[in-house]
Amino acid sequence: MTSNLYLDLTQELNRGRLRALLSSGQAVVVHRLAIMSKDGDWILREDAEAVEHALEILSQHGARYRFGAPLDLRWLAGGWSAHLEFRREVLRIRTDFVTRPPRITPEQLAQMWGEAQATGDDVVRVEPLAAMKLTNRDKDYAVVGELARLMTDPRSQLLYSRSSRDLIRLAGEHPEALVEAARQRPLLTRIGEGREALDEALDRERRALIRANEERLARYMAAAEDWARLWPEVQRRIEGLPLPDAHRLIISRAEGVLPFEPATGVAS
Amino acid sequence: MTDLRDEFLSEEDLDLRNLSQDELIAYWNLWLEQAQATNDLDEALYSHGVFDRDPAVVEKRSPRRPG
Repeated sequence: MTSNLYLDLTQELNRGRLRALLSSGQAVVVHRLAIMSKDGDWILREDAEAVEHALEILSQHGARYRFGAPLDLRWLAGGWSAHLEFRREVLRIRTDFVTRPPRITPEQLAQMWGEAQATGDDVVRVEPLAAMKLTNRDKDYAVVGELARLMTDPRSQLLYSRSSRDLIRLAGEHPEALVEAARQRPLLTRIGEGREALDEALDRERRALIRANEERLARYMAAAEDWARLWPEVQRRIEGLPLPDAHRLIISRAEGVLPFEPATGVAS
Repeated sequence: MTDLRDEFLSEEDLDLRNLSQDELIAYWNLWLEQAQATNDLDEALYSHGVFDRDPAVVEKRSPRRPG
């Protein structure tokens, strides 16, 4: 059977133990919706062995660090992302890692790992994938709309659907799920007002979600300003170094410069 | 009469559902290969995570003028 590098990498990351879940754009492909991204994104289990194994695999591929947080639990636990890159023949492979994906509560994250462990499925399921796709990019809302149609639980569909037609139909077919879902998604209380009102509410909800993610990213970017100023020099120093050496050097330079957690509050 | 439905992705995108696993992977791999054409354009950019630009790439592209 033909292989795919992102599926192969996921297998390598999970050799011997489940440590990584394929996420974002490549997970969307596995769910057979669309191919929209050439980069790979994984949720890594937040423990030292998982990080060490990921670094070993990346080192075997000759990966180098891009600007980002070190692949180190202290930063990952603060919601930072680590970014590495390598080449395989004509392909530039970007590998991005988080342990705390956005818009996923600790309880949901624990459930994701529990389900992945139980099923052996190392691709993020459609519900959490939809939550992660509520980004500041318009194109992701189209993906969320289709992901919702793959969900089997009507309550989940009601929480993530981007279609007023679908929402009205679901509300009629599953009134109990509607009551429950409306506690988490206020626009569902407007279903009785018809499609026009619901479409307006969907647009408003999308804009609010976009702003919320922009504000989240702004907090991280503000916290990374000193690190960004230092990075060109750090990158010159790690050039040509084996990944384990580059990793140690990056950690030593990031300590005291890149905070483990961004400041809370809204940066604008 | 066919019921209308809200469309989010193209028929081509959604047609992935009709591919066999081997066909999906072959198409995916081809797409990734063709997408390398934009590597220079997105060298500094990020599609995931909490960073948006690589400052080293920006610096490389705008070297200080002498004098």
